[in-house]
Amino acid sequence: MRSFSLIFKQFSRSVLLIAGFAFWGFSNAYAQTDAAKGEAIFKSKCTTCHKIDQQLIGPALGPQLTEETDDKYLVQWIQNNQALIAAKNPKALAIYNKFNQAGMTVFTELSDGDVGNVLTYVRTEWKTMQAAPKAAAGTGAAAADAGPSSMVIWGLVAVIIIAFIVILVLNRVVATLERLLLKGKGVVIEDEGEGGEETVDKKKEFIKRVLKNKKLVFFILVCGTIAMGSWGWVTLWNTNVHTGYQPVQPIKYSHELHAGTMKIDCQYCHSGAYKSKNASIPSLNVCMNCHKVVKTESPEIHKIYDALGYDPKTMKYDSTQAKPIQWIRVHNLPDLAYFNHSQHVKVGGIKCQSCHGPVETMKEVYQYSPLTMKWCIQCHKRTEVNGKGNAYYDSILAAHDKIKKGEKVTAAVLGGIECGKCHY
Amino acid sequence: MDNNKKYWKGLEELDRTPEFVEKNKNEFAEPIPIEEILSGDGLSAKTPRRDFLKALGFGVGAVTLAACQRVPVHKSIPYLIKPEEVTPGVANYYSSTYEGQAILVKTREGRPIKVEGNPNDVFAKGGLSAQAQASVLDLYDVTRLKDPKLNGSDAGWSEVDAFVIKELAAIKAAGKNIRLVTSTIHSPSTLAVIADFIKQYPTAKHITYDAVSYTGIIQANQNSFGKAVLPHYNFDKADVIVSFGADFLGTWISGEEFTRQYVSNRNNKSLESKKMSRHIQFESGMSLTGTNADNRFPIKPSEEGIAIISLYNAISGTTLPGSKKLANKSVDNAITIVAKELVAAKGKALVVAGSNDVATQVLVNAINSLLGSYGTTIDLDNPSKQYAGNDAEFVEFVHELGRGEVAAALFLNVNPAYDYFKGKEFKDALSKVRLKLSFSDHDDETAQLSNVVAPNHHYLESWGDANAVEGYYTVIQPTINPVYNTRQAEHSLLVWAENPVKDYYTYVRNTWNNGLLAKGGLSGQKGWETLLQTGMINTPANTAGSYTFSRDLNAVAQTILTHSASLVAGDGKYELQVYQSQAIGDGKRANNPWLQELPDPVSKVTWDNFAAISVADIKKLKLQEGDVIRVEANGYTVDLPVLAQPGQAQGTISIAVGYGRTNAGPVGDNVGKNAYPFYSFRNGTFQTTAIASFTDTGIKSPLAQTQTHHSYEGRSVIREANFTEYKKNPATHSGNEGGHKDYNKESLWDDHDRPVYDWVMAIDLNACTGCGACVVACNAENNIPVVGKDEVRRRREMHWIRIDRYYSYQEEGKSESITEEYEIDKLSNFDRVTVVHQPMLCQHCDHAPCETVCPVLATVHSSEGLNQMAYNRCVGTRYCANNCPYKVRRFNWFNYWNDSRFDNYLNNEHTQLVLNPDVVTRFRGVMEKCSMCVQRIQAGKLKAKIDKRPLKDGEVKMACQQTCSANAIVFGNRNDPNSEVSKALKSERTYYVLEELNVQPGIGYQVKVRNVSELEA
Repeated sequence: MRSFSLIFKQFSRSVLLIAGFAFWGFSNAYAQTDAAKGEAIFKSKCTTCHKIDQQLIGPALGPQLTEETDDKYLVQWIQNNQALIAAKNPKALAIYNKFNQAGMTVFTELSDGDVGNVLTYVRTEWKTMQAAPKAAAGTGAAAADAGPSSMVIWGLVAVIIIAFIVILVLNRVVATLERLLLKGKGVVIEDEGEGGEETVDKKKEFIKRVLKNKKLVFFILVCGTIAMGSWGWVTLWNTNVHTGYQPVQPIKYSHELHAGTMKIDCQYCHSGAYKSKNASIPSLNVCMNCHKVVKTESPEIHKIYDALGYDPKTMKYDSTQAKPIQWIRVHNLPDLAYFNHSQHVKVGGIKCQSCHGPVETMKEVYQYSPLTMKWCIQCHKRTEVNGKGNAYYDSILAAHDKIKKGEKVTAAVLGGIECGKCHY
Repeated sequence: MDNNKKYWKGLEELDRTPEFVEKNKNEFAEPIPIEEILSGDGLSAKTPRRDFLKALGFGVGAVTLAACQRVPVHKSIPYLIKPEEVTPGVANYYSSTYEGQAILVKTREGRPIKVEGNPNDVFAKGGLSAQAQASVLDLYDVTRLKDPKLNGSDAGWSEVDAFVIKELAAIKAAGKNIRLVTSTIHSPSTLAVIADFIKQYPTAKHITYDAVSYTGIIQANQNSFGKAVLPHYNFDKADVIVSFGADFLGTWISGEEFTRQYVSNRNNKSLESKKMSRHIQFESGMSLTGTNADNRFPIKPSEEGIAIISLYNAISGTTLPGSKKLANKSVDNAITIVAKELVAAKGKALVVAGSNDVATQVLVNAINSLLGSYGTTIDLDNPSKQYAGNDAEFVEFVHELGRGEVAAALFLNVNPAYDYFKGKEFKDALSKVRLKLSFSDHDDETAQLSNVVAPNHHYLESWGDANAVEGYYTVIQPTINPVYNTRQAEHSLLVWAENPVKDYYTYVRNTWNNGLLAKGGLSGQKGWETLLQTGMINTPANTAGSYTFSRDLNAVAQTILTHSASLVAGDGKYELQVYQSQAIGDGKRANNPWLQELPDPVSKVTWDNFAAISVADIKKLKLQEGDVIRVEANGYTVDLPVLAQPGQAQGTISIAVGYGRTNAGPVGDNVGKNAYPFYSFRNGTFQTTAIASFTDTGIKSPLAQTQTHHSYEGRSVIREANFTEYKKNPATHSGNEGGHKDYNKESLWDDHDRPVYDWVMAIDLNACTGCGACVVACNAENNIPVVGKDEVRRRREMHWIRIDRYYSYQEEGKSESITEEYEIDKLSNFDRVTVVHQPMLCQHCDHAPCETVCPVLATVHSSEGLNQMAYNRCVGTRYCANNCPYKVRRFNWFNYWNDSRFDNYLNNEHTQLVLNPDVVTRFRGVMEKCSMCVQRIQAGKLKAKIDKRPLKDGEVKMACQQTCSANAIVFGNRNDPNSEVSKALKSERTYYVLEELNVQPGIGYQVKVRNVSELEA
């Protein structure tokens, strides 16, 4: 796996390099356009409706502009698409109808040069984008491969195996030396290996000899006990700890896309986190704020429509058809522990990622933290109370200062590890 | 201690019966039979060693296999479209109304989980009764009707509507009578709906029937002043209160409101200004109000009339014809003295009587008129509308039924098949009716006899309004979608009356738009929204006029005397008095396990009613408590266990109504016996007294009585003073007369740091009336399981807060109570006992003995002064409970939330919806106890942190404190010298229970003060 990805990485790099050179040459040859200027225009005028790699309100521009090479047509379209449609340009009509006859904004203020710049920028950007995720996937896979814990275990296994081999070899050497000694003393030793029966005997003999070797037996026993013991310890210690738990959800919702790429704030959907103990899974009306118009064709989005009893064609809701979506809980705190999001997020000002991990990179969410009591307490012991600018804490911190001068005020110091703070 | 008065919770404790001594040796009355197995011939005989090993092996194997299951996958199902106002995990509060009282309903994720008083409510200012607290559980009652019923089988609403409309039309065409029988309705909208219904069906008539009625008072006011109203009483304006059998702090008219008013003249604030009201109670059975009286005199029902006549004579200085002296000299004396006190407090005096007899109430009116009470302590111009039942009208209705004159009978919120005293006559008569329709949400006794049952919504599912007292309008708004296929009764009536407005919500809006909103200066949509937020409109009260009684009393006195004479029991007979118990009331909520398990404030009996007899009588008859006797009166017999009630008048029996339901549901069915048939109908009203005889059946039925479950081994925990002493030295009898003793000089424990908060409580014993609302509030807040009668008998009730009721003696002719043991032995009767109620909960000791003995550190101290209990750390050694001097720790003997034995109580998937999601349910084998509502403390602190401001005093309220109409409980931070609780604890009356142990309890109690005077001489 690792070697494959390495090869792939190198391969993709070279492809990238060649492509880069080729493009550089090509673009230089084609026209004196400026990608930087294009980027500025693109960002100010186009991003409301377009993305390079994805369809937003309009088509994904990367593939669209790469497929369409007739720049003259493109310039005309971008400057005044309505004119093209009115002139019944077949290409223009096709795309117009494809997007439900939702006309694009007219940009007559853009010069031919400007549009050219934009085109260059988009095409360059798209090429980089196509190359980049592959490379990223390669390195990502390598990095995510093995955690330190498995390394340690494998190392241990290897040490044991090597030790075992060494013992075997040493034994062998000892045996040979003994035999040579005996030979020297003139003791005749029976020849080995004549017929099947004798081989069986020999094997028995070998086992007997091994068993007689007390050191070896002791060593094996010790190794076995240590291995079993540590395995048992780790297993028991991690009973019901589900770090890495990543259930398959009924809808393939990607946090990577929404929180990572789109940079939608966590609170936009998990609005409870600021005011309630539950961060709360958003109700579907929150999804519909965007997905009434965005990606309406996706089968995953259609799951939302089905759940709501929403008909995207008529844009009407039929509540009789509605059926709730049964998400699978990823983070399961036991009932006996009371946890309040608003205390941590709003009052404590703790980032979501501190406990939930890099959600913005997760295609499917997994449990990042162990959610054990030890983990809670460790954090309460380390985290300094965020009391600045909060009048609630003024008298409390003053009272605390009187008793323990200068000590760091962590959550634990203010009673944050007392049983009754979470268990009632 | 200078207070040598002897206090006891039950006769068994006083007499130190062998059974009591045995059971109180250990914290847990029934030991686990582990000794049997381990000692003697245990292993070798009963369970041989090999079997034990087999079982052990199998057990280990089975557990291992069972543990091999995969981790369950948890689903998380969000809203499809989240309502804007809902945030999962955050509670929403809606204002609504419970029986005329403004409330706030706490909902989580769309389901109501707790009912709390509205702080602006005119009745209890945020206080709420046990029944109101428990009402939320009824919403999730699985035995509520899930569909309407037509001729005994489930039907759809359209079928029912078609049938009823057809029938009603036919009846209307034939000109036959339609009768709509309801309990008291004070909702303007509902009354309008009924008026519309009657307009559509002119042969219809509205009859108001209350199982426990106040017709006597209403009629008496009609006779005396020409105003057929239930007056609004002002106990807060009364310096001297005399009550003849009126349980005004409990079940009489408006207990919560009267508690608030009454306590305002007796609480810490009032005492500090050297003011305290006087309260004298004359009654037969011991009532909650009687336990709180400064002086209480047991009288027989037959003596009540004579006593009131004597009081009138003494006040007016005249003698009504036929007056005679009371046989009981001390009562007679007392009446004379009380009369003087009343006259001295003219304009600030109040006399009330619990009787439903018109003549008696007329005489009471005359007394109050002489005392100038009208316009001050009694308000006839802002009358209460809480009860308007007319007994005679209902009796006439039953006669009409019997004569076959009624073609349609509709029953709304009434259940006469159970609570009408001639149930059989009613049932027979009802069979002659063509259309019998009940709106009951249960298949109750009356619904069983009906051919149509149109189940009504629970009030938390309904729209509506209420007008419980003149000028006070409240709104009812739904807090959940209907749980079952029920429909609001008003909606049904609108549909059947073919009203143009069929939707009741629109109807309510119209009612408010046409006049009611304007009364509060509101209008339109905005006004309506304001109303929904505030929950009420309170128009300025009318000026209470003063009324003078000017009617001739000779005939009245004659009626009273004849009536009294007819109640005098002959030889071997007893005078029977029927009353309402604090928890169950009239029996409508009998299917509520919280209420059934709430110990009666006086008898401490759960899950049963009983025949209360005086201690002297029970000794005379050689009966034991729990012996079942057969009581016979008015031709009706019931078998009930007998209870020796200190304070009960000799020669009387008291039995509570509300029990003995047969179709209430699995919780309420066959709990106790029905006492309504002991009622009689005399002089136009229902009477609650009769002459009874009884015989011993020889059967035993031990009562599930909690009174001596938690014993202090005779240690002094109650401190009491009288008002004269208090005025001389406010610290009297508090144990701190010579300044506060420091028991912490030599301590085994290190003191804890409490840098910021030190959560403590102050409980005013002089304010607590012992009503028990806090117990139910705590149940609802903290997910406390219901264990049932058998488990209560085993002393395994789970309540985190209990109210200990202590008796002490008061012998005739002595102003001081009996203190010496030898005197107690000589006492012959238990008629004159005084009572102190003490709420007992975890004291959150700073030197907690439970913490010291826990081997696994499951109970530890917090830096905020709380004694915390980590359930998941607890391994159930129960050492802590054994070491707790206050006996407030509770052990989970079963997995109450997942055990089929408790299915009838709270363990089913509907009832579990009432659980507070911020508090865990505890598993079998762990200890639990009062957590000082730590979830509320944490939530309060978090709110302050989010708002970036310090926590305010009074912002966090305990569930028990919040529901207390008497404001007997104050909670707060002792580190803040300006907090309410710090101020309360600074009172000279403050003492700590068992403070000599130096466990440093966090709950301070304030000495009970009794305003006794030289009355006894």
